[in-house]
Amino acid sequence: MTSPPERIGDIPLSRFDDYFPGGRVYIDYGACRVAVTAPVAELKAALHRVYGAFAYLRRNDFSDFHVGIHSGRGLRRWLRPTARFSIDGVEPFEPYPRDSALPMFEWGVNWCFAQRFNQYVLLHAGALALGDRAVIMAATPGSGKSTLAAALMLRGWRLLSDEFGVLDPASGLLLPMLKPVALKNRSIDVIREFSAEAVLGPVFPETRKGDVAHLAPDAASADAVGRPARPALVLFPRYQAGAALELLPQPREQAFARLAFNSFNYALLGPVAFHAVADLAEGCPAYELRYGSLDEAVARIRTLLEHEEATS
Amino acid sequence: MTATRLLPLLRDIDQAVALTPAQWDDTVRLARQSRLLGLIAHRLRDRDDLWRALFPAVRGHLQAAIHYSTHRAQMVRLELDAIDAALPAGRRMVILKGAAYLLQGLEFARGRIPNDVDLMVPRAGLDEAEAALKSAGWESETDDAYDQRYYREWSHELPPMRFPGHALEIDLHHTISPVTSRIRVDDALMFEGVRDLAGAGRFAVLHPCDQIVHAAIHLFQDSELSNRLRDLVDIDGLIRRAMRSEADWRELLSRSERHGAGDVLWYALHYCRTWLGTPVPTNLAPRPPPAWRRYLLDRIFSRASLPGLPDAGGGFGRGLALRLGTFRYHWLRMPPGLLLRHGLAKTWRATGRSAATD
Repeated sequence: MTSPPERIGDIPLSRFDDYFPGGRVYIDYGACRVAVTAPVAELKAALHRVYGAFAYLRRNDFSDFHVGIHSGRGLRRWLRPTARFSIDGVEPFEPYPRDSALPMFEWGVNWCFAQRFNQYVLLHAGALALGDRAVIMAATPGSGKSTLAAALMLRGWRLLSDEFGVLDPASGLLLPMLKPVALKNRSIDVIREFSAEAVLGPVFPETRKGDVAHLAPDAASADAVGRPARPALVLFPRYQAGAALELLPQPREQAFARLAFNSFNYALLGPVAFHAVADLAEGCPAYELRYGSLDEAVARIRTLLEHEEATS
Repeated sequence: MTATRLLPLLRDIDQAVALTPAQWDDTVRLARQSRLLGLIAHRLRDRDDLWRALFPAVRGHLQAAIHYSTHRAQMVRLELDAIDAALPAGRRMVILKGAAYLLQGLEFARGRIPNDVDLMVPRAGLDEAEAALKSAGWESETDDAYDQRYYREWSHELPPMRFPGHALEIDLHHTISPVTSRIRVDDALMFEGVRDLAGAGRFAVLHPCDQIVHAAIHLFQDSELSNRLRDLVDIDGLIRRAMRSEADWRELLSRSERHGAGDVLWYALHYCRTWLGTPVPTNLAPRPPPAWRRYLLDRIFSRASLPGLPDAGGGFGRGLALRLGTFRYHWLRMPPGLLLRHGLAKTWRATGRSAATD
């Protein structure tokens, strides 16, 4: 008798179903656990690759979301194969082409999480940590936040999330919401060239957001999904082709406003979010980071965090 | 999968300590589906011992439900403030259902997540109230001429209105049951029973007994009976608040008779007592509806109104019950001739629309 697999990627893909009784795959993202029923074959292969480092859970008593990825019904199933995303039996989106099951699944889980996880302040931000000290990178879409998060992980940082800064208002800690990093368009090749260790899923051409490929989180990040981190630094990154690296210190009120503005549920949480974001802005130095070179930015962020440690 | 653990939890919040994580896995989903997660969360939050004993993941969902419902309650208050500013001074405005429960500070209203604010004025005051809201910026949610006519002639409310950008819509009523339906409430009696609320300015609420009658009409006469446990929990809460003596029960029975709502009240009391353990005296009960109707309603209600999970499958019985519930809703709402006409009009228009888009 061999010992059970530790990670999803350890399972032989040909015997995937044998390891998930009832066709139910459990994924531990850190902040939440998701039960996925009836994933279509395309999704199983994609999960195997981009969730390869995630813990294999044979069973899980309490799942935060129960989602399904089922194949399309009826005649369309043969003419134009589709995949349907459902949560508790409700299908909030139109079906996707079946070969795009992974982007649909990723988008669906993000949607459920952003809609429902209002026990936390959900910042629209990437979060990475060295040890238990975290940097929060808040930015509007298109500013290169995901690319920078990917690059930091590939240089040894622990990835908490490239999309959600999950801030617990009770403790002020950041929780991992570890997901594959969705890289778009040119970023895909940038990251491929940045590191030979980058494990990327298939490229999905021409989705709503252009070409998308997912970078698999590494084992160190996956092993630490249960470990919150303390915010130590706030950055507002902005990529500009060819730009020299520049750091612009942000006054606290400015940092507060930019964090609150880049939040999924700031208005909904009202005073709870106000206090949590104010404490964050109060407790962490904040900079706008303009950069043209990923390597330079990565090195500078490390210096910044280490410098903070030395002075705090 | 039915609400096996949800009903005991609603009857007695102490049941929470006995639930395993796997049981919470069902219960959180069923409670959310019934829009009761917020109420359960508030009841647990009130009890420090129970709250601390919860599994952290479960507590997270409950805390999220508290935050969300607090936000929606605030949206209701903002909408009422805006409505107040839009209406001419000195006119009383009756609020119904969710907003009314909220303003009265009722226990079971905590955790509700209202999508609309229900208002009511006497029919004679309808045009003035509508004009005031429209001129302040509210817009009708439908500009379809048939829908407008349907609401105005045969319904008990105007088409929903929304102020652009606001979270909630307004339903402006002139009575509490559709004018074509088989129940015709006594409008004079109802408006006579309206009472002001301390600190609520122009906003007033129905007589406590009429609030129960209205909730019973809304559930058993004016809904499709599917996933309606929350409505029953409302009625349970209204009864526990207002029915304190034999005289109260006599008044409830007398008012429900005068509103022609004896049957729906019987159903409401029956299911409240059976499912939620509501204290209902046996000697002071409305006359029961005929046995065959009770049997038919039970076939629908006991299958369709409790929440269910998709992975367990509702089966044929639940699907049929849902269809019957829909049929019953339309049947009760309109006399058969009018129903046929309305059905044909809707079908004709749907055909026309799809032909036009092809």
